[in-house]
Amino acid sequence: MSALTFTLKHRTAQRVDMSPLVCHLLKELKVADIAALTLQSGKHKLRVDELFTIEGSDAQNIVIKNSVDNLDFIGKELDGGCISVSGDAGAYLGFGMKAGELKVSGNAGLYAACEMKKGYLEIAGNTGDFLGAALPGNKMGMKGGTVLVKGNAGERVGDHMRRGNILIEGNAGDYCGSRMTAGTIAVMGQTGRYLGYAMHRGTLLLWTQPQLSASFNDCGAHTLAFLPILFASFKSLNSRFADVSSAFNRVQRYAGDMSETGHGEVLVRIA
Amino acid sequence: MFIKLTGGTVYDPASGVDGQQQDIYIQDGRIVKKPTEDVKVDKEYDLKGKVVMSGAIDMHTHIGGGKGNIARTLLPEDHRNDPVHRSDITRSGCGHAMPSSFVTGYRYAEMGYTAGFEPAVLPINARQAHMEMADIPILDKGGYVMMGSDDYLLRMLTAKKDQKAINDYVAWTMHAAKAIGVKVVNPGGISAFKFNQRKLDLDEQNAHYGVTPRDILRVLATAVKEIGVTHPLHVHGCNLGVPGNMQTTLDTIQGIGGLPMHLTHIQFHSYGTEGDFKFSSGVAEIAEAINRNKNITIDVGQILFGQTVTASGDSMRQHANHKHGSPNKWVTMDIECDAGCGVVPFKYKDKNFVNALQWAIGLETFLLVDDPWRIFLTTDHPNGAPFTSYPHLIRLLMDRSFRNEVLSTIHPEAQKMTTLASIEREYTLQEIAIMTRAGAAKLIGLKDRGGLSAGNWADITIYTDNNDRQKMFEKPDYVFKDGQLVVVNGKVVSTKWGTTHVVRPDFDPSVEKGLKDYFDRFLTMKLGNFKMSDDEITEDGRGSITVHPLNGDVA
Repeated sequence: MSALTFTLKHRTAQRVDMSPLVCHLLKELKVADIAALTLQSGKHKLRVDELFTIEGSDAQNIVIKNSVDNLDFIGKELDGGCISVSGDAGAYLGFGMKAGELKVSGNAGLYAACEMKKGYLEIAGNTGDFLGAALPGNKMGMKGGTVLVKGNAGERVGDHMRRGNILIEGNAGDYCGSRMTAGTIAVMGQTGRYLGYAMHRGTLLLWTQPQLSASFNDCGAHTLAFLPILFASFKSLNSRFADVSSAFNRVQRYAGDMSETGHGEVLVRIA
Repeated sequence: MFIKLTGGTVYDPASGVDGQQQDIYIQDGRIVKKPTEDVKVDKEYDLKGKVVMSGAIDMHTHIGGGKGNIARTLLPEDHRNDPVHRSDITRSGCGHAMPSSFVTGYRYAEMGYTAGFEPAVLPINARQAHMEMADIPILDKGGYVMMGSDDYLLRMLTAKKDQKAINDYVAWTMHAAKAIGVKVVNPGGISAFKFNQRKLDLDEQNAHYGVTPRDILRVLATAVKEIGVTHPLHVHGCNLGVPGNMQTTLDTIQGIGGLPMHLTHIQFHSYGTEGDFKFSSGVAEIAEAINRNKNITIDVGQILFGQTVTASGDSMRQHANHKHGSPNKWVTMDIECDAGCGVVPFKYKDKNFVNALQWAIGLETFLLVDDPWRIFLTTDHPNGAPFTSYPHLIRLLMDRSFRNEVLSTIHPEAQKMTTLASIEREYTLQEIAIMTRAGAAKLIGLKDRGGLSAGNWADITIYTDNNDRQKMFEKPDYVFKDGQLVVVNGKVVSTKWGTTHVVRPDFDPSVEKGLKDYFDRFLTMKLGNFKMSDDEITEDGRGSITVHPLNGDVA
């Protein structure tokens, strides 16, 4: 069986809600049924075959081709299986994802990995604000799984994050790790202002010295035995995080945000 | 349009009709006598075997005013999880615990309610409250203006102004805010909170003004009576939710000295301190005091299990309760030195001892207070539960075996602490009709609502009798509002706009002299802007104002 492939015919004027096209919802359906499903786009409902040419039949292995940045909710609550997107993805990529693998070759929009629970999400390009965050008003963001961003991430990475790993090869915007409850965010590039704003617990692992606010305390230089173990866990990734040369165990440790409980930490590589 | 409702079983406590088969005639929005000569019936409904009551009236429900919007802002998930789509005749909306204004109107009507009264209209936010209620379709509405922690009144009390001056101020405020009653919330306590007091007992002085809640209650209850307002002073007492507050409630009943007083959501004020958890039911004594003191009316403020949000003017108690908030987020704020506001989301759980006992305490109250004309069915929407749970609550009251079935599932320690299982009383349909219709209309002073005799507005709800009372009250066959058929089989089929009920007690116009200086010196708006005009409610062509008679008026 070949991968179930949706090739976008044309870009719609309005955004499209792609949430019906996930592996676990399609696995019992015939291709004709899938073609007849409808997707919400602005005020209209569009048949899947109006928007996409459909090939293949393996619903455990979905490919979305010619994807553009107004296809929202790709992989929503994905519960096993694989979705691979060639092109860009819209907002809420992998929203509430429970298991499986989701890969995007281009950029992703706002709220990627929003309230993600488990599984693996890979974005080859850049991603918008609120990566791995909670929906507005909710108190818990990403609760598990791993997100890898090869490009840059926007502001508010891991807002209200609860557990899991967010790995960013490029830069992260302002308020990285804001209001984090726990979890790990690793950034190889630069970070913006207000790093770890109001974080309770959790770890921010950085390759370059950030601009820290006054509510973070310098706790000195440490050699941490858990870091090699953490890096070992990245070995299978197709990423610079898997390179042996990226790993380190010597860090400057800062604790904060002291305006919260102050149990969070910012670890900065000592080269 | 002449409508005949034929052969229904009518429950109309207002005119003493208890389950008799009667025909009802409707003309031009009102119920009329049986025509003497032949009048062409334009539309006849065969209601044989159906239960006919007047439209229900919720006399205490938070459906307008700023705190609802704070709750909406605080709980986007409440709205995300409960979207309502538009139809050809209804507008879209959302919300479970705090629905949008349009959805509020539809859902009330779909349960057979035709009026709701907002119990906490802050004078300075009255305009917003009325604007919001203007967007509630179908229902009639009205508001109780909130006084008792406002700086101006407290200054008057400190300066020992005479009762006449206070009467003028209260009457003037009711005019300015377009109210039908006066509410007091944690008398003086909201103000005391701002002077760093974290609790205020009935006889404890406000640290700044030296005034006690007892003084405030007495002065306001006297004012309400003397200016002739039918609805007695609507009191949210001191120490809401505090174990042992039953004594405060008993003292409050005692302290009012026979003046008419309505104690609202009394369930939250009926707690003792017995037992291993130092939390127990004080209903036996409270109910006895209510049965004995005929000047007291109450509504229950029943809690029902599930997610809701508490929104109250009682910033002092809401601040104390914030640590129980679920999900963990809350707001407490001052409102223009006039009052306060606290919003704390709550999830009442049947396996939680305190919540389970609160549930039992509310039901005990319903069942131990004898006179259904002096007790009203509320959940203090949304504080105890959203109003959509009323049919479930009615079933709990009318069906002992169902009640005991639910009782057997709650926290075992709570089961031991309540006498609920031994109470045999089951409410009758007539008693439900009193609590939710005739009694409520009488209490608020609505002259031509809540009854089915000729001359009343045709607010009528028709149910199919069903032993499962929840099913019966969830889905009326027909609901008429002012003679217009608005609901069929529990679904809105047409919409209209209700009226705003007010009273207009007299006052000495010279009261504005002192007020004008006060407004100019201290407040954020001018006196002229503070006062609402009728036009603000009526000029859009949908709203209207209905003025009800004062006590002593010839109706």
